[in-house]
Amino acid sequence: MSANNKKELNKVAAGSQTKHSSSTSDDTAQEQPPSPSTQPKQIPAKPSPPSATAAASAATTTTTPKPSLASSPAKTQPEPPPFEKGLVEQLKNKFGDIVKVVFIKPLRIKIQVEPQDIVGVASFLRDSMGFDHAESVAGTDYPKDNQIEVVYHLGSYSREELAAHILWLTARTNKDDARLPTLINIYKSVEYHERECYEMLGVYFEGHPRNERFLLPEDWADIPPLRKDFRIKGR
Amino acid sequence: MASYPRDFRFGGFVVSLIWLIFWILIIVALVGLPLIFIILFYVPLPEVDGEVLTPYLFLTSILYPQSAIPVIETLLDTTFFKVAVFPGFTYAALIAAATIFIERKFLAKMQLRVGPLYAGKIEGILQLLADGLKLISKEIIIPSGSDKLIFWSAPIAFVATAAAVVALIPAAPGWVVADIDVGLLAVFAILGFFPLIALLFSWASNSKYPFIGGLRALHQLIAFEIPFILSALSVVILSGTLNLTEVVESQIQSYWFIFFLPISAFVFYISSLAELERIPFDLPEAEAEIVAGWLTETSGMIYGLLQLGSYIKTYALAALFVILFLGGWAGPQIFPAEIIPESAEAIIPVSELYEQTDANAAFWFTLKTFGVIMLMLLPRGISPRIRIDILLHTGWYKLIVLAFINMFVALALIYGGVLGPGGLLVR
Amino acid sequence: MTSIEEKFEESKRLGLQIVKESEEDRLMTLSVGPQHPGSGHFRFVIKVDGDYIVYCDPDPGYVHRGEEKMCEYRNVIQNIPHLERPVIHDSANITYSYSLAVEELVGIEVPRRGQFIRAIASELNRQVYTLYWLAIYGIFLGHSTMFMWPTGDREVIIDLLEALTGARVTHAFNIPGGVRNDMPEGFRDRCLSQIRYLQKRFKEYEDIFYNNPLFRQRTEGVAVLSKEDAIKLGVTGSVVRASSVPFDVRKAEPYDIYNEIDFKVQYMKTGDCFARSYVPLLDMQESCYIIEQLLDKMPASGEVRAKLQPNPKGPPGESYRRVESGRGALGYYIVSDGTPKPYRVKISVGSFRNMLALPYLLFGKRLADMPAVYWSLNYWPVEADR
Repeated sequence: MSANNKKELNKVAAGSQTKHSSSTSDDTAQEQPPSPSTQPKQIPAKPSPPSATAAASAATTTTTPKPSLASSPAKTQPEPPPFEKGLVEQLKNKFGDIVKVVFIKPLRIKIQVEPQDIVGVASFLRDSMGFDHAESVAGTDYPKDNQIEVVYHLGSYSREELAAHILWLTARTNKDDARLPTLINIYKSVEYHERECYEMLGVYFEGHPRNERFLLPEDWADIPPLRKDFRIKGR
Repeated sequence: MASYPRDFRFGGFVVSLIWLIFWILIIVALVGLPLIFIILFYVPLPEVDGEVLTPYLFLTSILYPQSAIPVIETLLDTTFFKVAVFPGFTYAALIAAATIFIERKFLAKMQLRVGPLYAGKIEGILQLLADGLKLISKEIIIPSGSDKLIFWSAPIAFVATAAAVVALIPAAPGWVVADIDVGLLAVFAILGFFPLIALLFSWASNSKYPFIGGLRALHQLIAFEIPFILSALSVVILSGTLNLTEVVESQIQSYWFIFFLPISAFVFYISSLAELERIPFDLPEAEAEIVAGWLTETSGMIYGLLQLGSYIKTYALAALFVILFLGGWAGPQIFPAEIIPESAEAIIPVSELYEQTDANAAFWFTLKTFGVIMLMLLPRGISPRIRIDILLHTGWYKLIVLAFINMFVALALIYGGVLGPGGLLVR
Repeated sequence: MTSIEEKFEESKRLGLQIVKESEEDRLMTLSVGPQHPGSGHFRFVIKVDGDYIVYCDPDPGYVHRGEEKMCEYRNVIQNIPHLERPVIHDSANITYSYSLAVEELVGIEVPRRGQFIRAIASELNRQVYTLYWLAIYGIFLGHSTMFMWPTGDREVIIDLLEALTGARVTHAFNIPGGVRNDMPEGFRDRCLSQIRYLQKRFKEYEDIFYNNPLFRQRTEGVAVLSKEDAIKLGVTGSVVRASSVPFDVRKAEPYDIYNEIDFKVQYMKTGDCFARSYVPLLDMQESCYIIEQLLDKMPASGEVRAKLQPNPKGPPGESYRRVESGRGALGYYIVSDGTPKPYRVKISVGSFRNMLALPYLLFGKRLADMPAVYWSLNYWPVEADR
């Protein structure tokens, strides 16, 4: 294709995609060198509460690492990117200590809440911060802590500046009596994911209309397979 | 069939041979001969050259082949020949078989592939035979709880009804199995049986998907009978008769009716596609939605019979289109008066059997029928399947209106004196 | 049109709009099961009132293999062959995402030429998958030519892939660190000429398939998924792009060298079946442009694969990377505990997310719309089951 067409494509692309924010984000993104994972995105300021502009405040606490998790895999300990910090500031201002930040990486934020608070935090995330759908729900079994961690990966379709970000909303529950409130009333998209999490890990989601077998065969009579106690036969 | 061959013993071979001859003699003597005598007693023997055909006369034809010619001539005139060979079952079955093969090849070429290739030396020409043998050899599975009487008899009724329609189609002047004065009406009456058969068979299958398919077949076939009849009615108006042979005669006298009734021809074509359950109207057998519709529970020869009946119906409706709109067997005379000139003195004057007008008529009829059949095969490569509500909407609203329009045109032509007895365009 | 909440409630109560609870005997339960020419390796139970569907319950799991559990027993390189199997036609993309996540965990830098080749394989596989999807869509609508032509044209691309990777379908080409081998000689010219051929063919598809009045009648206006519902249900890929949300992972979160490539995100505003069936064709045309640019900008020589230790492992951590595959955003969530084998791998596939739209869209539709709607959701049963 000729260069003219390419430029036209670019303009049209920028014009057709961006609905509510500026159109420069695409151009700037394209002129940066590759490996975006180490590049903070230069996004025009998103509306954040005025008290959050104090970026110098060390509000982003990379807390003491949870027993089986660590912080960012970058070789050095970089300063968390300002945009993500701004998002976390918003959460901290609203919820204070309820929200524990596990790490902040470029485009990925992980926060952890207690099971009883998860519905409130999720509604705030959906209504005020613009994370409007859950991409997936994953459960991980940590037998060392006797806990199961459920991670909700939240993404955004409606906000242009949040399109690349995934916020990890996690909650930990005790393995012996694994119960979590369901987020189905907030994020419809978790319906099947939570059901799969129930059958694979045994986490009961209170309020979910169908905590039932989904992918496993009808005559499954063993423990939930994604638990670490379940060994594949022959290995 | 690999079985361990036992040692060959000549004595055993001779014994089995004698045993075979013995049984043949017994059966012929005790069953065959009485049967022949009974038949000869009751069956009226044809007259050959003023003499009654006796077995003696028949057997002398072995020595004098030329005396077989009048026998064959009388045979050609009998109803039995018309039913069995031309234009009856053999002819229709051959055309149906050719249609199936041509359809597969034609469709393949449209879809950028080859079609059947390996059965038979030339481009898979024996594929049909292979499929037929395969179907015969398959096990016929009757679903439990099904109505066995209807399940077994519906495919046979299907083929019989299709064959009954074929019986009314004239392929050449004088060559029709049943020359009825209300031929066209009889065709429609017989066509009205098909939805009943589909519904009965789907009910007898005792299964959900055939049930849905049968209901769809019922809706579709009944809904499209009306535009079907209305479009043929325009032809009746123009030709003044319901007898199919006379319809063709009136077209030979004037011009082919498709020039006067193009819209009716179009409506007839669409309605016949719907009656045949061909794509895009193959809802009753819609594969992706209701497995195979009302054919779901068929297997083996039952499926074979249903397919045979379906293709015979294709031939029948295509032939009907040719008769009503394309002038039947009308066409320029391209056959010579005699195949081999001055053959009356030959040893075996086979050419006496050759009739110029009949050959010409049969040739043009077959050519036109094949053309219409190819036209019916064409939408299979072009369109997806239609939905039931769109189908019924089209049938009830659009096609009936179009058929009426052309009927008014036909009436105007008659009243205007253009066609009809003593008309302007009547030669 | 009722909102998604109302539809949700009604579909639970078996459709009070059409049938009262007292008349439940009128409903017929059909199992559009694995043994059905209209469903693939997937089963969903529908209840039908006459010709209208009042209830739909997807029941996946027919081909569930336990991919995620199997990943925990093999090291990161050994995981590639079995991770390809969920969607064999699109195998470059499902391993691409995995490789990206592993590279982030282990800390591998992929050489530039390797990134380009990875992107080329990804685009080619995207076209392969979309052509196959289009072919099956033809079958579901009863259009046999729409099955034959895309399947035939798919062979063109599969030959290219065979030249590039050595295998036709599941080629295990992407590994953490790059690709397995370099491009053969003459691949560039061959690829360009085949892309020209495909672009011509896509135009023919538009004429014959998409401008067919019967096709339009069956798909236009059928099962409209509005923008709010699409966002709420969290569908992805061509489904969400057909509901006027221009989201493409390659544009939103460019990975590897996609930020150097000029392309448009194709989307449509209507959200009906026709839009959902047309957006993949537009994506394929866009993909052709992307491949041309990739072949132009590729460095002429270089490594294609980073050197790895025999058992690559990195510090404990988690990562989530996603890639735009034929069905949508395919994300991998990998937790590593410092050993060569991953601790937990969660695959978030586009099909699983799109499956949620099925009960909502099928409510109140005719039975004849069922295959059209079901397949327009760009659903690949094997991938959803993993």
